[in-house]
Amino acid sequence: MIDATSGRKILLLSLAAGFGLWAVAFVALYAMLSIGCAFGWDRGSLVLGLSLQRLQLLLLLGIFLALHVALVVGLSARQQRSDTATDRFLHSAARLAAIAALAASMFTYCGTVLLTTCNP
Amino acid sequence: MLAGATVIFLATSLALAGAFIPSIRPLLTPKRLILWGGLVVPSLGLTALVAGAFTLGERLLPRQGAETLRIEVVARQFAWEFRYPGTPVATRDVLHIPVGRDIDFAVTSEDVIHSFWIPRLGGKIDAIPGHKNIVRLRADAPGTYGGICAEYCGEGHAPMRFIVIAHAPEDYEAALTSEAAR
Repeated sequence: MIDATSGRKILLLSLAAGFGLWAVAFVALYAMLSIGCAFGWDRGSLVLGLSLQRLQLLLLLGIFLALHVALVVGLSARQQRSDTATDRFLHSAARLAAIAALAASMFTYCGTVLLTTCNP
Repeated sequence: MLAGATVIFLATSLALAGAFIPSIRPLLTPKRLILWGGLVVPSLGLTALVAGAFTLGERLLPRQGAETLRIEVVARQFAWEFRYPGTPVATRDVLHIPVGRDIDFAVTSEDVIHSFWIPRLGGKIDAIPGHKNIVRLRADAPGTYGGICAEYCGEGHAPMRFIVIAHAPEDYEAALTSEAAR
């Protein structure tokens, strides 16, 4: 069973969850972009005129955006179940940070959809 | 960039003036400062910068076009060699380029990792043994530019410099011919 102090510690960590997820998405997308370019996945088209490189990056981006949304939904549900004013404040701050991180991911990773992935 | 910096400077000065001028103070409520100073203005600025970076980044990709010139760059301890495809010319520590044309530099190394950099023309790129990295640069004005090795490569790193001579288009071929005659 989680006591109040441990619960508060986890709650404090959840403040960084949104942008932590953003950072993990950054590393994953950057790594897969480099791997795809090294293996020539950007050449040719696989489905609907999209290359394997574009598809795998879009899939990865989709997974991370879904995780962002799940985090926001999860924090919203927890906020409604908060007992004390402090918990409600922390949940609210964590939820808003998670929403900001979702917006940041959509903004910074839109290049995955738009830009040339590898040097021609 | 200057216009953007001026607008940001004036807006920040106005916000600061609010602390001292009573007639402005009522306009600068905490909510407005947070909304405009913390969200709207940074978002607009960042969007403009990202859009500019995306557009310029695409333009800098080394796509082969009729107008694009390619020059091979080979780095070694502690000198630079430049080869001009289609000609027998190779120059050492002196690079000739034409003005007003995109040039793709295919950069490699024969020993350790170096870095090819002409600060006034743009970004640097690593010279890696067994690998070719390409950087697209362009000189808009004739003249002489300095180039350096931007990655520590041994005890001769600091003086491992080169000179870039940007010629008017009509003088470029003559410069290469003159180098070939040496």
